[in-house]
Amino acid sequence: MQPGQGRLVVMWGHLALLAVIAGVVVAYWMDARATSLKVNNLLLVQPASVLALMLVALVVPQCFKRTVPGADEEVPAESLSDLGKVAALAACFGAFTTTLEIVGFDVATFLFMIAALFICGERRWWLNLSFSAAFTMLLIYGYGALIPFPFPLTVL
Amino acid sequence: MIDFNSVGGAFSLLTSDWSAWIYLIPGLIIGLFFGAMPGISITMAMAIFLPMTLYMDFLPAIIFLTSIYTGAGFGGSVPAVLMNIPGTSSAVATTFDGYPMARSGQHNKALGIALASSVIGTLSSYILLFVLIAPISRVVLKMGPLELFFVAAWGLMLLGSLAGRSLARGLLAGVFGVLLGTVGMNTAGFIRGTMGVPWLLDGIPTIPAMMGLLAASQLLGLINTTYLVEDEASRKISFRQIVSGLRQAISYPAIILRGAVIGILVGAIPGVGSSISNLLSYSETKRNAPDGDTFGQGNPKGVIAAEAANSSSEGGAMATMLALGIPGGGATAILLAAFAMHNIVGGPSFIGHNKDIVYAIIFSNFAQAVLLLMVGLGFVYIAGYVVRVPLRYLIPTILVVSTFGSYAIDGTSSGPITLFVFSLLGWAMVRYGYPVAATVVGLLLGGLLESNLLRTYQVSGGDPAYALERPGALLILAIMVVSVTITAVSKARRRAGDAAVGQQKPAPKA
Amino acid sequence: MKKAITRRRMLQLTSGGVAAATLGTPSILRAQESYPDRPINIVVPFDTGGYNDRLARAFAPFLQEKLGQPLTVINRGGAGAMLGHTYFLQQPDDGYTILCTSAAPYIPLNILTQDATFTVEDFHMINLPSRDYTLMATSAGSDLTSADDVIARLKEDNSSLSIGIQPASADLVNLMLLCDANDISREGLRLVTYDGGGPTRNATAGGVVDIGLVGGEGFLPLAEQITPLIVFDTRQRDGWDAALITDVAGEDAEFVVGSQRGWGVHASMLENHPDRYEILAAAVEEASKNPAAIEALKNQQLATDWYGPEESNKSLAATARVMQQHVDLLQGT
Repeated sequence: MQPGQGRLVVMWGHLALLAVIAGVVVAYWMDARATSLKVNNLLLVQPASVLALMLVALVVPQCFKRTVPGADEEVPAESLSDLGKVAALAACFGAFTTTLEIVGFDVATFLFMIAALFICGERRWWLNLSFSAAFTMLLIYGYGALIPFPFPLTVL
Repeated sequence: MIDFNSVGGAFSLLTSDWSAWIYLIPGLIIGLFFGAMPGISITMAMAIFLPMTLYMDFLPAIIFLTSIYTGAGFGGSVPAVLMNIPGTSSAVATTFDGYPMARSGQHNKALGIALASSVIGTLSSYILLFVLIAPISRVVLKMGPLELFFVAAWGLMLLGSLAGRSLARGLLAGVFGVLLGTVGMNTAGFIRGTMGVPWLLDGIPTIPAMMGLLAASQLLGLINTTYLVEDEASRKISFRQIVSGLRQAISYPAIILRGAVIGILVGAIPGVGSSISNLLSYSETKRNAPDGDTFGQGNPKGVIAAEAANSSSEGGAMATMLALGIPGGGATAILLAAFAMHNIVGGPSFIGHNKDIVYAIIFSNFAQAVLLLMVGLGFVYIAGYVVRVPLRYLIPTILVVSTFGSYAIDGTSSGPITLFVFSLLGWAMVRYGYPVAATVVGLLLGGLLESNLLRTYQVSGGDPAYALERPGALLILAIMVVSVTITAVSKARRRAGDAAVGQQKPAPKA
Repeated sequence: MKKAITRRRMLQLTSGGVAAATLGTPSILRAQESYPDRPINIVVPFDTGGYNDRLARAFAPFLQEKLGQPLTVINRGGAGAMLGHTYFLQQPDDGYTILCTSAAPYIPLNILTQDATFTVEDFHMINLPSRDYTLMATSAGSDLTSADDVIARLKEDNSSLSIGIQPASADLVNLMLLCDANDISREGLRLVTYDGGGPTRNATAGGVVDIGLVGGEGFLPLAEQITPLIVFDTRQRDGWDAALITDVAGEDAEFVVGSQRGWGVHASMLENHPDRYEILAAAVEEASKNPAAIEALKNQQLATDWYGPEESNKSLAATARVMQQHVDLLQGT
């Protein structure tokens, strides 16, 4: 990204977020209309959807900025490696939350802890492994004692 | 209104049976602990310990369970302040200013403020209950859909003030939240937006979504920070700071009183309760405060307002339960079950015949509030150590705890999956300057708003004249309008005054 | 890691409490029986605090006394019991997982309105002690005082009364059948829909709606604040001073019974583990007839009556059939 003087800068990330929001709103609105057109169904959903889409339209221009020299950047400034770390952590977190019931809470937690600790900057392996193991045990037995249903486990 | 014979009876009940007191502190500790664990609700804690009370006498059993209730009510604010995790929906507003305070090194103070506000909130709600139990019981059942709709709309006014830099983005975040809050089966039985996923029938799981939006999104963004509190000198655990927080809370009696009144009134309405009262109290306090613009950046008053209201909702819910025998929520349903285990049926006849027991329960709650102060001090002191943990450990740990908590809510992976989706959404929203808090508020209020708008439409047949038959609703509307007008006028006057004095401080953007 | 240590200590403390709670009841071991030789899980497809949860937790001590093994309640709430029922059927049919649910209306509702993958025949009910019934009631201060008043008002103008009701419920079916029997048009009724029995009852007692139709048992704590109008059953229930549906709509009045709640197992357990089924069914029967259990549950307004598997399953199947006939009423109002 090298914004030149007075050039039009597009905040693609922001645009993508707005596209997601608008997409969800439209899909939800259409799904609601497909369910039934009765007032009892659409009373709030329809006007709220329209309002949300109008607001999206209002915000879209904010994704395009003519950079003025000296004005403070509204584009979030993170280095690419920082963003990479966030993406890696988010990916691990996604894998963890979606598979933990399948691979078992013990295994999933242990693996996620190791990976996340590494991504977050813990490079001493012995510390990483022992903390992950201890914390996993603590959580499984601790939460397990508190809640009225079992955690699916593989090893423990 | 206060029957002094029964008051005497209550004292003799409480003093003749010392076994009742043994359970106070264990109950508080259990409650604090369960409440502080994200995802474990007050109801769950009480349900787990309910069977134990079968072997106790009636009064000790009720005191034990209400101690858990009181403890858990405060426990939820600890992760809210320290980690931005609202473990329950009643701690949402606590995160708004509590977490910014913690990040700027005022974690001790924030916890102290939260504790004092909770204690005083609980105490004052039971004092109010002592006086108001009869009138409340007459009003509660008459709350119709229009009244509740106005209550929800009142809560939504918070959206405007959460907006931050861009009003359009703030409103979009809020309306998007409202829409997401209506997903699932609506009150008339229509199923929308579930994409065929069975668990979405009940709507998007609120607590995991909130944890994702508020906490997990933050954590992803904190990945390059080393400590929660960046300034090393502020990272200490100071008992004195906690105590100064206690003192600071006491110096705002008006905010606490307003919070307690809102808490007890809203808490008394079955099915609404503490999850709304903390938002209303926060919103009102913010609007009325001269420094309202600094709310959300770590203003102690925000914490006071939220905590006073959510803790006093307990008193309101108890009023409904004792006076009418109907549970306002899960926790009071458990209490009623405990009543029933001891052959006591709640309701109007119970209050009529057992005033001494009612007063004994109220008095024991006074004691609970006082003891909560002491037990809570220790708890808060220990919990404060969280800020000393390096973020490279704290981030994975909190993510995992949140995941376990989101699973603990109903024992399915619906929680963890929701948590993940909303943490991504939250991270992106924070990155592009959207107030995630507005989405959370919308999500919390969406269902309430739709259900009651719909019922108003159904009951009135679409005839606006129905509003005239509901003086209660008009009263709520009038209070709302008057309160907004007064603050608007006084703000305008203050601004005019500022301008006249000369531009000392930059004019706050509305 | 000071925090971790304290947290662990706290955990021990609390888990000790839980253990004390579950081990609190003495159990009589029956050494000669192999089943059950480990704890049994009770799946409750509702959250903590509801009727089934309370029933399971209150009845468990008496049942575990008979079975000689501890019982653990597992709450799997959500989506109108759909998630819990699915979860239950996914567990092995070895008798170590049993069900405590509102079999009617939720099992048929899951099937008819939520595309459930199971059928009513996948479940076998050992006993459904709680049989609720629809009660039509009005606020105690209302000018409506009898069933005749209500029917006359609705006949004159069917939108003249607002009616509190849950969508997709037995109560709604009963209301429609009552309207049909009295030549009141279904179209244009002023239905006000609520998400649960509690809110419907509160709205009725508070006069927010003119009349409400909802499960009658739950009205007991509010008895002083309502006027009961019609009991949808062939016999008087819970001492209400109200007309029976058979008085209002004739001897052969068509109506459905309300929630039927109680104990069930996998239907396949009867074939795969008939011996275990016998032991379990006998234990439920004995516990249901235990005077101490009857006393304890009655005080909590929970039912223990023993109807037995045959009658329980017959009644569930009958309800499922009637609901099937009125499936159009169950899909949104």
